[in-house]
Amino acid sequence: MTALRISPLTVVALPLLLFGLNTAFAQDPEAPATDGKALYLSYQCWQCHGYEGQGGAAARLAGKQYPYAAFARFVRHPNLMPAYPPNLLSDDQLRRIFDFVRSIPEPPPLEDIPVLRENK
Amino acid sequence: MKSNDKGDRVNRREFLSSAAAAGVAAASLTNAQSAAAQQTGQSSAATPPTEAQLAMEYDDPSDYSAEEIDEYFVKYPGSDFMVDVIKALDIDYITTNPGSSFRGIHESIVNYGGNSKPELLTCPHEEQAIAMAHGYAKVAGKPLAMLAHGTVGFQHAAMAVYNAWCDRVPVVILGGNHYDATERRAGVEWAHSAQDAAIVVKDYVKWDDTPHSLQHFAESMMRAYKIAMTPPMGPVVVMIDGHLQEAEVGHQSLRIPAMSPTQPPVGDANSIAEAARWLVEAESPVIAADRMAHDQRGIDRLVELAEALQAPVVNLRGRLNFPNTHHLSQGSGELARADVILGLEVNDPWSLVNSLPDRVHRVPKRRGGADTRVISIGVNDLFIKSNYQNFQRYFAADLSIAGDAQATLPALTEAVKAQMSRARSRTNAERKQRWQESHAKRRAASLDAARYAWDASPVSTARVYMELWQLVRDRDWAMVSEDRQQRQWANRLWPMEKAYQFIGGSGGAGVGYGAPAAVGGALAHRAEGRLAINVQRDGDMMYVPGVFWTAAHHRIPLLTVTHNNRGYHQEFMHLQRMASRRLRGMDGSSLVGNTLSDPEPDLAKIAAGMGCWSTGPITEPGDVGPAIKRALDVIDNGEPAFVDVVCQPR
Repeated sequence: MTALRISPLTVVALPLLLFGLNTAFAQDPEAPATDGKALYLSYQCWQCHGYEGQGGAAARLAGKQYPYAAFARFVRHPNLMPAYPPNLLSDDQLRRIFDFVRSIPEPPPLEDIPVLRENK
Repeated sequence: MKSNDKGDRVNRREFLSSAAAAGVAAASLTNAQSAAAQQTGQSSAATPPTEAQLAMEYDDPSDYSAEEIDEYFVKYPGSDFMVDVIKALDIDYITTNPGSSFRGIHESIVNYGGNSKPELLTCPHEEQAIAMAHGYAKVAGKPLAMLAHGTVGFQHAAMAVYNAWCDRVPVVILGGNHYDATERRAGVEWAHSAQDAAIVVKDYVKWDDTPHSLQHFAESMMRAYKIAMTPPMGPVVVMIDGHLQEAEVGHQSLRIPAMSPTQPPVGDANSIAEAARWLVEAESPVIAADRMAHDQRGIDRLVELAEALQAPVVNLRGRLNFPNTHHLSQGSGELARADVILGLEVNDPWSLVNSLPDRVHRVPKRRGGADTRVISIGVNDLFIKSNYQNFQRYFAADLSIAGDAQATLPALTEAVKAQMSRARSRTNAERKQRWQESHAKRRAASLDAARYAWDASPVSTARVYMELWQLVRDRDWAMVSEDRQQRQWANRLWPMEKAYQFIGGSGGAGVGYGAPAAVGGALAHRAEGRLAINVQRDGDMMYVPGVFWTAAHHRIPLLTVTHNNRGYHQEFMHLQRMASRRLRGMDGSSLVGNTLSDPEPDLAKIAAGMGCWSTGPITEPGDVGPAIKRALDVIDNGEPAFVDVVCQPR
């Protein structure tokens, strides 16, 4: 599978780099949105959902086949996570994040991971 | 005990004559040296002491009173007797950061007690010394002692004492202090003394005392130990006056009282019968256990009760409580489906059936049915203090039984069995099958979840746990850290059946508990030859990293693998929530104040600097297993080993 490869430095550097980009968006709504993966990182989704959407403090996103409407509902009116309203995260940006989450490749099957397979 | 024999004391005539002879000899030497120095032209280093030096360094004994001569040397100091008392309590270790307020007992432990039972363990920080005691007690089932140095020692120790208090763990703290102001040396000794040095921890210890005599000390130690070990257990303090430690025992006739352990309280028989009836008649009884199992007997007893009812058990993980391999081990979601909940030593019974959303307007939500009845068995109501609010929200349980849950379980199980009708018993087969299926599904779901991010860098926490598991599964292993912040992977994926394999968390959620409690737990496991495993959070490690020096110095084998996410992840989420609620700061600002970066602490170097074998930081998942393998070779030589792995946030 293709895993996200993020150096420890990037963990901090990328959001800080994108801080500037995001500030630019706020000033110029016509500026092109970055791709979903970058938004996923800059909006800190990874902090609770993991770099690969595997879950963590919050639910796993990878591999879930929620329709966009359900996904948007969880983001706009969440029960547990912080709410992200449209004036902070536009519909377009949310859609791009959704597309990224849907595109996260499936991890290896259980059978291909010996230590998990042996513990079935 | 031995009392002082006057014949052993220094005779006045002998003392003065030897002192006079020493004085003459010193004077002669001074004169001879002076003459020699003049002849040979030696440097001033060889010149005799000046008058000022003599005045400073030499005290003419001819002016001594009889009392001063009598007390010049101490044959049997009070602190020797204190060590006798500690030995009588079978306390194996004393943790401490050295301090002059207890120099008397420090010396006695080493030279009188032979530094064995108790053995003194050197700690670079009092917070570490207490947290080690905390972790140790949860494994060993008995406390060790900690020496705190007056005002400064208690203030350093305070946070860890609070954790032990919240976690209901016994720790015996001995506090040095100088009570008699006329006996205090000028300067530091005053700054380190107090009217009541233990006052900073009084709100979160079960009991404290300030003995005014050695006999008082002996009795207070027995009382302190007894109180600490009686459920609800907790830390206790006995102050040891500096003068009491250092002065001669003299002709006092001292005795060490017997230790009389208090049997834990068992719940009221009528209430137990009523609880049994509710549980037997329930359609969906659920058992929730928190700080219940003191040892393996607690687990075995709960298995017997759960099987009698075929009721699922939700382990709230204050302790292991229940084997996670058992088909009745189920998730907390079962609480919402219960009609009767039996809470065993649950720290927060209110939350069994309620929740409070983290919003500006906080309106409690009922979890599950409005008619769900809750039975609470525990000791929390037996001892409570007012200031610190760790007692959680008031909850009116439908049946509240005061008693130690582990001690009460046999009676409850007997009552349940006695009340089981044939019809009810027949439902057990169906219930068992249902829970077996549910347990298997949960297990499969956990394994499936572990696949995600398996090959990711930073390394997934599931990968860390499973790489570990592959290498430790055939050993007698024990976790000495909590896994709550790593998605409970150990509890979800590792078979845990023995009480010592998991010891819960800090109790008070005071960060900095993890590393020292792990070393304390490893100390207790060392005696049993077990492999102690610590999954170490980076933020926690930054509090008292000196504990790794203690582990290296005292040869405490502990395998540490880090969950190094380069920050305070929990606090990040809080900040993100605040920013979101205020419609701002969705751009990485939540990282400010919450990251451990620029520079990133090199945890492996820190551990190495403390004398531990270490490796890392490891960022590639494929490198984790080989690194742990090398670490285990070190562990097998009786040394601590440290593997730093840069991980996903959770």
